Amino acid sequence: MNSIEISVNSASCYKNNNIVFNNVNFKVKDYDVGLITGPNGCGKTTLIKALCGIQNLESGEILFNNVNIKDSKSIFFENLVYVGHKNSLNNDLTIIENLEYLSALDNSVHKTDNNVIEKAMNFFDIYKYRDYMVSDLSEGNKKKASLSRLLISQKKIWVLDEPLSNLDEGTIKNFINLILSHQKKGGITIASTHNDFSGNIKNIRHLKMVGNK
Amino acid sequence: MNISKIANLKFFYIKTQKISFFLSIFTLVLFIIGIYWGLYIAPEDYLQGNSYRIMYVHVPAAWLSLQTYIIMAVTGFIALVWKIKIMEITSIQCAPIGAFFTIIALVTGMIWGKPTWGTYWVWDARLTSELILLFLYVGIIVLYSAFNDKRQAVKITSLLAIVGLINIPIIHYSVEWWNTLHQGPTVTKFDKPSAHITMLLPLLYMFIVFNIYFLTVIIKRVRLGIYMREKNNKWMEEYLND
Amino acid sequence: MITTIVKKECSLYFRNLNNMFLPLIFFFLIISIFPLVLGPEKILFDKIIPGVIWITSILTTLLTSNNFFKDDYNNGIIETYMTSESSVELILFLKIILCWIFTCFPIVIFIPLVSLLFDIPFQISLVILLTLIIGTPVLISIGIFGSALTLGLAKNNTLLPVIILPFYIPVLIFSASAIEAVSVGLPYGMQIYILLAFLFLVLPIMPYLLKYTLGISINN
Repeated sequence: MNSIEISVNSASCYKNNNIVFNNVNFKVKDYDVGLITGPNGCGKTTLIKALCGIQNLESGEILFNNVNIKDSKSIFFENLVYVGHKNSLNNDLTIIENLEYLSALDNSVHKTDNNVIEKAMNFFDIYKYRDYMVSDLSEGNKKKASLSRLLISQKKIWVLDEPLSNLDEGTIKNFINLILSHQKKGGITIASTHNDFSGNIKNIRHLKMVGNK
Repeated sequence: MNISKIANLKFFYIKTQKISFFLSIFTLVLFIIGIYWGLYIAPEDYLQGNSYRIMYVHVPAAWLSLQTYIIMAVTGFIALVWKIKIMEITSIQCAPIGAFFTIIALVTGMIWGKPTWGTYWVWDARLTSELILLFLYVGIIVLYSAFNDKRQAVKITSLLAIVGLINIPIIHYSVEWWNTLHQGPTVTKFDKPSAHITMLLPLLYMFIVFNIYFLTVIIKRVRLGIYMREKNNKWMEEYLND
Repeated sequence: MITTIVKKECSLYFRNLNNMFLPLIFFFLIISIFPLVLGPEKILFDKIIPGVIWITSILTTLLTSNNFFKDDYNNGIIETYMTSESSVELILFLKIILCWIFTCFPIVIFIPLVSLLFDIPFQISLVILLTLIIGTPVLISIGIFGSALTLGLAKNNTLLPVIILPFYIPVLIFSASAIEAVSVGLPYGMQIYILLAFLFLVLPIMPYLLKYTLGISINN
């Protein structure tokens, strides 16, 4: 895999004429874990969305290998998996169907092996719920299902919005190990979080955001 | 980049304050002259008598209603592609003015219709197209007001306006086609060849006056739009306190 | 990828049979209200029934397209589409086609039954069928465009018809006139060709337009 660098240069963003964040600078490259922390309403989610190219900035730019992501969308999205605050799961499909659907979106060229999906579900301990409708699951299990997309899609850049919400302690530990092993392979993780889980992770790039007013 | 954009709005807001005032007076004077010209000086029509005189309001209003839609769509397009703030404001502020012109055109058309057709409303091609144009304007105004985030609203309404602009000729020709199918040739509204130059001159003049009126109102409305958008900003407070 | 997406979208329709049959039931309800209001004279119905069928189809497409993206938006699936490497345009195109198959096509199938109810001659009901097959995909696409426009609103229950109906007018005019032409024995080829032109104009453009609109709508 080629080396990757993502940088946010003096980004600012407005919503309905109110400033969300102003002059944010941030840079991550291979083997990095970027943590975006800050109080509620300081624009973490907005920044994460901007990093995925689905939120327009008022000024500033986001570069992917020194090219604005707006001009390199196809190559950028080939390397990116975004797990947002919403679970991106369809309530009327079973977990396994949802994951097949999402893996079809993430790997448009090759069909994902069913083994990979199974492994990912086993990792998050949701294999036993494979034929449950998503609407019948608890919030935590939904979150696990949406996070298992990280393992299925096998992308280099993980962009996560509040990945730890609704997870129990064991799963959090498990998940941090997952980030560590992703890091060892040279992957990049960018996550917004309000409880700092940086404990034993190296190469942390911290971005502390402060709310306005 | 950011600063130059805000400066642009600021520049416009401050510079147009006096211009807007004088334009209003200027428009009023021109309008009175035009009304006098149209209603007293222009000769009576040998077929329609005096009732034709309402065309000095009706025809320019109908033209302007279409022209305003085109301006709204074009400024909307510029706003979407180059993200120029003042164009965003101009685009959405065109909608109420255009709707106003459309209503004027419809009402005057109905008033003219009573002595000519014997009824206020006939489903004639032009009136029907004008009515649909009003629906398009209403759709845009309603959609804009439904959004909380007005900047997102402008983008959405600009898009709708552009799609609408592509659709207007299609709608117009299909309505015209529908009309010829159902009614056959009826009395065309204002017989072009019979109109004498002494009648056409005031019409042309009124068209120009309506354009100047549009300019006056759009400047006022854009200033209002800038105020609404920038009222929390420092420069606006400073300017208003001076 | 296409097969997986089509399979899942289909099973979504099959699991919510309401989504599939509600439009059809709605269609029949409205159709059967007309005789109750206007009286059962056959001469009247010969004249107005094509128009009635078309107006009812409009209402039905408005009903189905109103919340077309709402679920996907609330679940965050739209965001996933926009950040995935797959072609969003292709997915949207498939979704439009499937929406037509599952909500409008049942109506088309039941047109012969409607023809029986109102004793429409075979020749005319054939043309009604033809105009519906060509016209409803256009209406559905425009309706879906409207639902993408109103997606960013907190409450958008009644806005869609106001915005979208003017755009329906050309399709309506030409469909109605084709039916009228055949009922008085005139050729109706031109109207059908124009409807086809609308179809082949709208369908290819719509996915790109939808992607752009959704991009704006999730941007908040």
